[in-house]
Amino acid sequence: MSETTEKTVEQIENPASYVELKGINKHFKDFHATKDANISISKGKLVALLGPSGSGKTTILRMIAGLEHPDSGEIWIDGKLVNNIPGSERGIGFVFQSYALFRYMNVYDNIAFGLRIKKVPEKDIKKRVTELLELISCEGLEKRYPSQLSGGQRQRVAFARALAPNPHILLLDEPFAAVDAKVRLELRTWLKEMITKLQITSIFVTHDQDEAIEVADEIIVTNQGRVEQIGTPQELYSNPASPFVATFIGNSIQVKNFDRFRFFEKPEEDVTAILRPEFVSVYKKGEKVQYSKSVEEAVVEDIIFRGSNLEIKVRLHDNLISSVRSINEPAIEIGETVDVFIFRLFVIFKDRIELFYNRSLNNETVII
Amino acid sequence: MDIRKDKGVLKWVLIVICFVFLSVFLLLPLVYIIATAFRAGIQGYIKAVTDEYALKATWLTIRATLWAVGINTFFGISAAWCLTKFAFKGKKLLSTFIDLPVTVSPIIAGLIYVLTFGRQGPLYGFLDSHGIQIIFAVPGIVLATIFVTFPFISRELIPVLTAQGTDEEEAAALMGARTFTIFRKVTFPHIKWALLYGIVLCTARAMGEFGAVSVLSGHLRGKTNTLPLYIELLYQGYDFTGAFAASSILVIMAVIILILRLVIEQKGKKEIDINR
Repeated sequence: MSETTEKTVEQIENPASYVELKGINKHFKDFHATKDANISISKGKLVALLGPSGSGKTTILRMIAGLEHPDSGEIWIDGKLVNNIPGSERGIGFVFQSYALFRYMNVYDNIAFGLRIKKVPEKDIKKRVTELLELISCEGLEKRYPSQLSGGQRQRVAFARALAPNPHILLLDEPFAAVDAKVRLELRTWLKEMITKLQITSIFVTHDQDEAIEVADEIIVTNQGRVEQIGTPQELYSNPASPFVATFIGNSIQVKNFDRFRFFEKPEEDVTAILRPEFVSVYKKGEKVQYSKSVEEAVVEDIIFRGSNLEIKVRLHDNLISSVRSINEPAIEIGETVDVFIFRLFVIFKDRIELFYNRSLNNETVII
Repeated sequence: MDIRKDKGVLKWVLIVICFVFLSVFLLLPLVYIIATAFRAGIQGYIKAVTDEYALKATWLTIRATLWAVGINTFFGISAAWCLTKFAFKGKKLLSTFIDLPVTVSPIIAGLIYVLTFGRQGPLYGFLDSHGIQIIFAVPGIVLATIFVTFPFISRELIPVLTAQGTDEEEAAALMGARTFTIFRKVTFPHIKWALLYGIVLCTARAMGEFGAVSVLSGHLRGKTNTLPLYIELLYQGYDFTGAFAASSILVIMAVIILILRLVIEQKGKKEIDINR
């Protein structure tokens, strides 16, 4: 009886959250893998757990799956406290990093495994497997063994196997790590489409920020066992909650003496700033520029061809600053003196992060 | 090109070394065994082989081998399973202990059991009052055989299970499969060939065990004499035809095992090729 009451209370308290972690701690011997993690995920969302390796993201995923048990804290799924419920009864599908397909079973038996365990009639299993094979466009591969599949096919079969018993939550551990770059991009798009189509709450682990930003509705950034920030990709980009997020997301560099940049000043002595390529513009001398009165001179040290654009590295007040330039603009060469304009930068205070704009932007706006 | 040529010479030198070595140390003695066994003619050989005591010794050897292999298969799978799929304290110690019989002399293995279950042993009173005799009886022989052969199966399984990892089991468990189902459907197919290979090695070793069994058997003709012990007995009694005839039984059993091993290796390889 008391459990039912608790359930109702929980649902009222936090109606939006479908998966919730409260004050989760996990140690592996002396290693504190998860430090007081609080996470809330709404139903139907595609969420990324993003962080460098060893940041505890996989541990969190495995705890949600019931493959690891937290030392303290609570895990709630769909309004139920699941700490003591085995993973197989939590209504989850899990895609392993290495896929963990059963090597001695063919594709059909792999996908059918979970249904056979549940004693689903063979006729219904056949229907479901056929349906899933169609979904993952692997019709005709039923009789193949995992070793006879390509990396991308294995990934999709693993996905189908996890989906077969109709889970409410799909967990994916580094789902794109084991395939090559081109297939990875295809799979990313494919997976996002699938998950959006199926409307299944999904959580995937990745160390690749591009992957997280492109695929996820929401990103949970982890670092050294802590959850640093939870938010949409846009939020993480424009409002990083911690210095770690500010540096980890985007191609950032740290600048100590940013008060030497024109139209920027330091509010306190020991603060540093974070500068991203998209905050900086580089212009060829004589090029028509909007803020021509506010630019500074710098020398180009390196140019990296990125295919669709160029990354220009310039030396400005002892800082090597990156900027992105279109290949359609007039060419710049290494050693050339160019004009640099910095639009804004993140200033890291002890307790917060603030966006500082180039003051001339305000002035020119005022003038106009 | 020169390097290739060198390798060609080296290859032939190595082949010759191997063949000469095997001929001198293996083929020649084998031929000699067969020749001596037939020295008294076919009749003499058949008589020696069908001798009552020879048959009893053969039967006892087979029985002891079956027991030892059966028990070691069970133990080997358990040990390999727990050492590779679970984390616990004392894991390294257990792993080291499994290898002990390989390093300890079989004589010592025999003596250990004599001291444990013999008249001076702490368990003798209990066993005797229940009418259980271990040393100088069949159970002692089985015990000694188990001891000397118990690393064989687990040592074949451990590398295979380690290489396989625990992902597949975790995946099956998450889909609600029970431990035994996981073992049967997921783990076992991986170890099938390694297990058979281990069983073959274990059988071969169990059949030929002499040292530990010799200490524990008591050498009762027709009762506790295994084939190797019986052969030694005949040899000491200058019955060369009998000794070598009995040896030939062991050799034939060994050859059967060898062929089994070859077949298993071939089949296992084919299946591994499919699954790699």
